[in-house]
Amino acid sequence: MSLCPELSFNVDHGYLEGLVRGLKAGILTRSDYHNLAQCDTLEDMKLHLQSTDYGSLLTAGNEDLTVSLIDHRLKENILTEFRCLRAHSLAPLSTFLDYITYSYMIDNVVMLITGALKQRDVAELLPRCHPLGMFDQMAAVGIARTPAELYCAILVDTPLALFFQDAVSEANLDAMGAEIMRNKLYKAYLEAFYKFCQESGGATKNIMCPVLEFEADRRAFIITVNSFGTDLSGGERSALYPSCGRLYPEGLRLLARAEDYEQVKAVADYYPDYKLIFDEPEAGSSRTLEDRFFEREVQLNTLAFLEQFHLGVFYSYIKLKEQEARNIVWIAECVTQRQKSKINNYIPIF
Amino acid sequence: MGSVFRSEEMCLVQLFLQSGSAYDCISELGEMGLVEFRDLNPSVNSFQRRFVSEIKRCEEMERILGYLLREIRKANIAVPEDDEICPVAPPPKHVLEIMEQLQRLEVELSEVARNKEKLQRNLLELTEYTHMLRITRTFVHSRSRNKALGPQYEEFQSIESDSAGCTGMQRLGAKLGFVSGLIHRVKVEAFERMLWRVCKGYTILSYAELGESLADLDTGEISTNVVFLISFWGDQIGQKVQKICDCYHCHLYPHPENDEERADVMDSLRTRIQDLNNVLHRTEEYLRQVLQKASESAFTWVVQVKKMKAIYHILNLCSFDVTNKCLIAEVWCPVNDLTNLRGALEEGSRKGDATVPSFVNRIPSNDTPPTLLRTNKFTSGFQSIVEAYGVGDYREVSPAPYTIITFPFLFAVMFGDLGHGMVMACFALWMVLTEKSHKRKRSDNEIWTMFFEGRYIILMMGLFSVYTGLIYNDCFSKSLNIFGSGWSVRAMFTDQQWTNETLQTNTLLILDPNVSGVFVGPYPFGIDPIWNMAVNRLSFLNSYKMKMSVIIGVMHMSFGVVLSVFNHLHFKQRFNIYLLFLPELLFLLCLFGYLVFMIIYKWLAFGARDSRLAPSILIHFINMFLMQGGDNTPLYPGQTGLQVFLVVVALLCVPVLLIGKPVYLYWLHRGGKSLRLRRGYERVRRVSEDDMSQAPAYADDEEEGFDDLMTSRDTQPKEVKTATVHTSHINI
Repeated sequence: MSLCPELSFNVDHGYLEGLVRGLKAGILTRSDYHNLAQCDTLEDMKLHLQSTDYGSLLTAGNEDLTVSLIDHRLKENILTEFRCLRAHSLAPLSTFLDYITYSYMIDNVVMLITGALKQRDVAELLPRCHPLGMFDQMAAVGIARTPAELYCAILVDTPLALFFQDAVSEANLDAMGAEIMRNKLYKAYLEAFYKFCQESGGATKNIMCPVLEFEADRRAFIITVNSFGTDLSGGERSALYPSCGRLYPEGLRLLARAEDYEQVKAVADYYPDYKLIFDEPEAGSSRTLEDRFFEREVQLNTLAFLEQFHLGVFYSYIKLKEQEARNIVWIAECVTQRQKSKINNYIPIF
Repeated sequence: MGSVFRSEEMCLVQLFLQSGSAYDCISELGEMGLVEFRDLNPSVNSFQRRFVSEIKRCEEMERILGYLLREIRKANIAVPEDDEICPVAPPPKHVLEIMEQLQRLEVELSEVARNKEKLQRNLLELTEYTHMLRITRTFVHSRSRNKALGPQYEEFQSIESDSAGCTGMQRLGAKLGFVSGLIHRVKVEAFERMLWRVCKGYTILSYAELGESLADLDTGEISTNVVFLISFWGDQIGQKVQKICDCYHCHLYPHPENDEERADVMDSLRTRIQDLNNVLHRTEEYLRQVLQKASESAFTWVVQVKKMKAIYHILNLCSFDVTNKCLIAEVWCPVNDLTNLRGALEEGSRKGDATVPSFVNRIPSNDTPPTLLRTNKFTSGFQSIVEAYGVGDYREVSPAPYTIITFPFLFAVMFGDLGHGMVMACFALWMVLTEKSHKRKRSDNEIWTMFFEGRYIILMMGLFSVYTGLIYNDCFSKSLNIFGSGWSVRAMFTDQQWTNETLQTNTLLILDPNVSGVFVGPYPFGIDPIWNMAVNRLSFLNSYKMKMSVIIGVMHMSFGVVLSVFNHLHFKQRFNIYLLFLPELLFLLCLFGYLVFMIIYKWLAFGARDSRLAPSILIHFINMFLMQGGDNTPLYPGQTGLQVFLVVVALLCVPVLLIGKPVYLYWLHRGGKSLRLRRGYERVRRVSEDDMSQAPAYADDEEEGFDDLMTSRDTQPKEVKTATVHTSHINI
């Protein structure tokens, strides 16, 4: 059995894989985006989305149509689908799906901490958390003063406790500390997830490892670029780099030494994939570095659907759906703010 | 040929609709279901079309109706649905009225519902509060009883004696605080743990489960709750406790200072709950009244709005002529219904008070019209079976009418049981007789709907099964002896073939038809019931049924092939007859037709007397392909010669089938010298008389399509051949 997991894959996960592939067929296509980009009002967008798989998502209820409502509904939609998948899943898949939620949980925790530092009310912050990363203890996060307290008192019961090995410190939490904690947690999370995928073997490993490697490298690049101008030293920085990417170890060492954008670019030049991303875009295109990373992520995730009998489709589906939500919200923003020139900056998926 | 055998003749028609009366005209056409509209602005986005705002209004109304129906269903009020009254789409001027009515209802409903919810929430809070007070009292009292201390500071005292070190806190003047409330049962453990961790044990939590379950108003779930009481010192810890309570979504209520206050609060709560219950009851009554009134016309509204939306969708397909102030629609309409179409338009114009009538203009078209096959409730089931294989082209011969007989009959050949067939027919008959009431029920059960849709098919299958069951003489797998068997055992004894001794010594006895009087004559209808007792019954029946299947199968296939002639003749493709139909038929008849001939010949030529000499047809058939006379004695003189001839003819058909048509078409459009070719061109031109320029275009298409054609022609005969060989193999 363990020799060839593909043989018995359908016993446990066949139904859900079929389901997710069916759902994937509902992801908006280029022509859908083309039509959406032509809309003049949100009402038009609603009308067009009605003809897609979203159906009456925006029609139900009689609140006024706003961008935040659209965003909220789209997130809710992802959540419903995810909950359905999670509720029907069996052993390796259920763990895999849990791993997907952890990243959102980390983001939520850090957002609440920074919110608490700015004396914001928890009730006001909660609705802005990503629904995929909701958990019970979340609202109490603001009580903690140091990461150690945060870990011991609040998060020890949550699945995030696993990732706290490096992040526990007695230093007081501030905005910078929260950010560092996020990256440490994320590093531990990515490495654990990577290990899990590697142990699954088979097609799951073949599909998920490149995606996670890319994710790790992206974080490394972004951390480096964002750290310019702050008092984060190279040594401290290198502690934050996830060690499961393709940059590890040589590229990470170079990144730790980098001091400006040009040097980062020089590091990326050693890797053909990242060279493409860092290359100056052709004139007229207003894509940011982040956009190009997203584009590459979408590419990698669409590849997951080419193979069968692996867990990667679930991860890819959620990520693609998230990107789709980002696209729709972007278009909706452009429509409401009458920024027609920027409307085409969405990232088409299929 | 009538419309039963072919799909209906269609024509492309342009409708000029006065913009004032277009709505009524379309409504009229929709009620009659006469025409299929073509989209005249395919390049326009759905939200840029003309009647988008009207469609939006319809959607708004649908939304309100959906809300209304949900509320009605929640209140358990039945919506009267009547199929007899089928409301037509409301005229545009009445739409606003309906809209207003709906909006008024929505506002009223949502207000009442909101009030009701507020009241319910209030009531829930009050009940929770009373429960909490009731249960915390027991906490306090149990503790005070344990320590037998005064009522004022009982908690404080007990804690003091419990944990050392808090006396210091007391000395510092820290205030003792209480937080009490309700929490979900499932969350208690995590809550307690976190409380302990965060407050480092400086709190005391006591909790007890609530006897009854309360419904959560947000989710509608019924959950068990737990009442808790937290005692703590100091403001800082108090804040933390407050935050933790918030994060676990606890419902907090103020904790009374002493017993008197508790009793007061309890009293006031009781009266308030009573009042609230009264008000709530009255609100519900009123809500029910409103819903009751709305439910009367809800069904009509749903149908009307749906029809209205459909009409605007159709109007969006039309193109708008600015100068003439009219809408132009292009529709496919059956030629026979053109007068009805005109009538409907007149009716529509009259209703819409148009000054200029809408009119119809038939336009020539080269597009292939849609296939229209009219069905009634009897034929629709068979038509859908045919459509499962594919919808025929325009004006192609429709196989559905023949299916009405062949499908149930072939089923019955396999089913073949009088009793079971009777049961089936009765079930189907019941469905047919009570179809009106079933239709009204509109069941959601998929399996039932499938049976119900196919009730006429099942009825036919049942009836045919009764017939074949009679032929097989099978009733619940037992034979019926109606006419008396044609075999007689007594004759064997009178003829001295058997004696009592033979009966005692042999376990198996064989009736010999050659002995006079044993076999009187064939059973008048079907299989002789005596076979029911025979040991070789199964092998006899199998052989018989298989031969019958081969005969029926070959006939069925030949019939299908013959039907194609009507298509070839109708589409004036005479070469198809020579290049497709004839070789196919020859192939079929030379091989399998001959097999049928042999089966029948064997039945006729061999009687009871020489049955031991009867050859195996299978061996003969196989030898025919091997072209060996072999050591078999021929069935009839000249058998070998005929068989060789038939096989050669069949083999010659194969290349014709494979490459005949493509080669002919290739030749037709490449050459131009031979006589046949000229005719081909003339034919092409005759087809497109009205447009001369069409002829070369046709030829161009042919050239490009040649390869495709080749492959498609290639596969078709192969399919035919494999299919025939396969079916006959199964049969044999």
